[in-house]
Amino acid sequence: MEHAHPGRRPDWAALLIAVGLLALAGVVAWSASAATAGPGYARIGPNAASYVVAAGLAILGLATVVAAFRGDIPKPEAFDPMAVCLILAGLLSLIGVISVGGGFIIAVTLLFALTARAFGRAAFLTDLGIGAALGLIAYLGFTRLLSLSLPQGPLEHLF
Amino acid sequence: MLDQLAALGQGFLVALQPAKLLFALVGVFLGTAVGVLPGIGPALTVALLLPVTFKMDPTGSLIMFAGIYYGGMYGGSTTSILINTPGESASMITALEGNKMAKAGRGGPALATAALGSFVAGTVATVGLAFFAPALVDLAVQFGPADYFALMVLAFVTVSATFGDSPLRGLTSLFLGLLLGLVGIDALTGQARLTFGVPELLDGVEVTTLAVGLFAVGEALFVASRRKYAPEEIEPVRGSLWMTKEDWKRSWKPWLRGTALGFPIGALPAGGAEIPTFMSYTIEKKLSKHPEEFGKGAIEGVAGPEAANNASAAGTLMPLLTLGLPTSATAAILLAGFQQYGLNPGPLLFAEKPDLVWGLIASLFVANVMLVVLNLPLVGLWVRLLAIPQPWLYAGILVFASVGTIAANPSPVELIMLALFGVLGFLMRRYDYPIAPMVVGLILGPMAETQLRRALAISLGDPAVLIESPLAATLLVIALIALVAPYFLKGLERFKAAED
Amino acid sequence: MTAFGRTLARGLVATVAAVGFATAAFAQMELKIMAPAAPGGGWDQTARAMQAALTQAGAAKSVQVTNVPGAGGTVGLAQFVTGAKGDGSQLMVNGFVMVGAIITNKSPVTLEQVTPIARLTGENQAIVVPANSPIKDAKDLAAALKADPAKVTWAGGSAGGTDHIMVGLFAQAVGVDPTKINYIPFSGGGEALAAILGGKVTAGVSGYGEFEGQIKAGKLRLIGIASDKRAPNVDGPTLKEQGIALEIVNWRSVVAPPGITADQKKALIEAIDKMVKSPQWQETLKAKGWDDAYMAGDAFATFLKNEQTRVGDVLKSIGLAK
Repeated sequence: MEHAHPGRRPDWAALLIAVGLLALAGVVAWSASAATAGPGYARIGPNAASYVVAAGLAILGLATVVAAFRGDIPKPEAFDPMAVCLILAGLLSLIGVISVGGGFIIAVTLLFALTARAFGRAAFLTDLGIGAALGLIAYLGFTRLLSLSLPQGPLEHLF
Repeated sequence: MLDQLAALGQGFLVALQPAKLLFALVGVFLGTAVGVLPGIGPALTVALLLPVTFKMDPTGSLIMFAGIYYGGMYGGSTTSILINTPGESASMITALEGNKMAKAGRGGPALATAALGSFVAGTVATVGLAFFAPALVDLAVQFGPADYFALMVLAFVTVSATFGDSPLRGLTSLFLGLLLGLVGIDALTGQARLTFGVPELLDGVEVTTLAVGLFAVGEALFVASRRKYAPEEIEPVRGSLWMTKEDWKRSWKPWLRGTALGFPIGALPAGGAEIPTFMSYTIEKKLSKHPEEFGKGAIEGVAGPEAANNASAAGTLMPLLTLGLPTSATAAILLAGFQQYGLNPGPLLFAEKPDLVWGLIASLFVANVMLVVLNLPLVGLWVRLLAIPQPWLYAGILVFASVGTIAANPSPVELIMLALFGVLGFLMRRYDYPIAPMVVGLILGPMAETQLRRALAISLGDPAVLIESPLAATLLVIALIALVAPYFLKGLERFKAAED
Repeated sequence: MTAFGRTLARGLVATVAAVGFATAAFAQMELKIMAPAAPGGGWDQTARAMQAALTQAGAAKSVQVTNVPGAGGTVGLAQFVTGAKGDGSQLMVNGFVMVGAIITNKSPVTLEQVTPIARLTGENQAIVVPANSPIKDAKDLAAALKADPAKVTWAGGSAGGTDHIMVGLFAQAVGVDPTKINYIPFSGGGEALAAILGGKVTAGVSGYGEFEGQIKAGKLRLIGIASDKRAPNVDGPTLKEQGIALEIVNWRSVVAPPGITADQKKALIEAIDKMVKSPQWQETLKAKGWDDAYMAGDAFATFLKNEQTRVGDVLKSIGLAK
């Protein structure tokens, strides 16, 4: 990770981080000001901590602005967006399948195969099979041995 | 003292019967097997396996209990070390150094020092439990909200050890954690904060969801994104599979120091297991002859916190057995286990059922031995997990992480949070922000706030209460020294350098 | 024969008996019980105890327990009301805590929408003080509260929960403004108990079971329990007999989804009735220290309605709801 020399152009990614921190500080302070103080004798209500956190985030945001101009935030290295997208697709299909009632096994199968793909596996069908087997074992283990309920779908009703 | 020794001897006679030893072994095995699932900590492990023990006589079942408890704790550390997936908040610190060791082919020594550290801590702490319980408990109850607040302040000072090389990025990570700590129902007034009308957020952000998201999911994203440019090399074993002489030398002191921190703090009704692990990590980093190795796989950073974690677990049993105070989720479940036999832990238990109490204490020793017996030979096998081809290893880790989350709370909101924290963990790795302070902030923030406001509510808003107790004042002074001393020493060195 | 074996045998006898009488449809029922809480908690334990008792008493063919934790049970409630509408094979465990949580969390779904089946268990609520406290009985406590409500600190469970509501009712009963109470919420019983034992607070409120050991050991003094008459397992007075009109029970119950037919409701009530009368259930109550508070059908529906009004009023008066 290389640090840029001071005096150069500002680091836009770092500025974005700073803006994010300041925005978060704003949201926290705004939500605290919108809330009413509850009852109590502590004199410090539920909003005090919010203001402390908001102030801290704001100061850190400003410090990050300074760091961005001084080049103190490390520059990230090159990365492969495809791999990240594949894993995110895996996580999204996990959430999606479970939300629409597709069940645990299908969700886990997709997560496994897509993640393996992100790590360069070409045999997608094989990985689907491995994922399904893993999901089935986990499903049976959790529901039968530990009597915990997992999301149900068409496949789960077969067992 | 002699009476206690005789009673303990009696206890061992019960616990060492072959059938009872078998129960202990089965308990440790089941506990480890279920405890390795992330999101399923020792409490849930014991809760899930409680029905298994229904079928036995009280002693046998309590012995199995003890086994499950210790097994569950150890299971959490195993996943922290091997796949960077902390099963519970107290083993988060273990992941910091342990996983770095595992990736460098030193998973064997990391697992071994965790197991042996747990054994040492468990044994020493159980001795403490057996002989000093009544006296220590009277002290522990005197700890009031102001004292707890001072302890939290001290714990906050220790966070900087996890910051890495930039205070700005470390503090940013910490404050993001504090921000997440605000989410949910305020404990003192019942008012919702930052929930934006989502009912699932009312209970706040689950620590394991954040830790697993940042550590495991974030790591998978990061490694995948770098695969084409700087492929990660994982070696299951490099050098010795076992601890070398050097490893032993570097481990034994952290084990003892971790125990000394974990047991008393764990015995406090609101002490918990996390604070002693943070403190132990900081102290080991300060005392180590190899501070440069911290963050890259220092064995002291596994040995100390692991011992602290286990010692605090034994500490938790102290208020439970002597006062009937369940001070952790696991202790509450254990209490339920006692009650199914009509036993009520509390001041009368030692007097009314001495054989049972001492049987349990003896079985804690036995379970501890079983843990080492079972797990040391398994170290070689566990480490082989890392030989799984990378695509399947990481795919498996993600499946594993989400299964744990789903089983503990089958709601899409929880999974969405897991994914978001994963993305955040990925971005933080890219810009070299440390992730541990964020988890620490989420754990300590709400604790510190609650204790502060409780203390002030009792004093009707008078802040003097915070320093009136000698204990609180002492802790605050230590915190101040810990905070100021490094700068002072630096200044002194600079001054000396200028002199030369 | 082990205790488990005996239970099993008794269960078998009950099953055989049930099959013998098998007239109702419920013996063939495949039930789903939702515990709107994480595994391990009180509602989960109740749901799993019901699971065992229902199957062993032959009141249902199979029972499946699901957990939907979150926000005092209101996350589960919302899912139950929308997802299980009209399904006569689903049940949900709930209790007093949910009544308050619905109000404080401003839940869009309420207990008005469910079909009440039965109240199952109850726990006596108790007030205690440290053994060395100058407060000897409820009259002393009332006098201290009247003198300066701020100086009487109360330790109990979460804000807006059963314990908090009870303190609000206590203040009302002795003629003190409930908004003035100095109530300090603790998470979990252990932490509150430690604060009481350590003398950090004036008084403590919780289920009697949490205090029992300490009271018997002489470390805590029981001021009173909030039941209408003395309980057989409690050695101490009620608040009522000390002139304080305060009655509150921390009950747990079971409800069915909205929109089920009268026949479905009847079948469910019959199944629960059979379960409650089974030896397996009675044994569970004893083992877990739960009091039997069985009340079914319309009587429970009326009770539930009254509790909702009462809790709403108290929460308003202590400033936790509008």
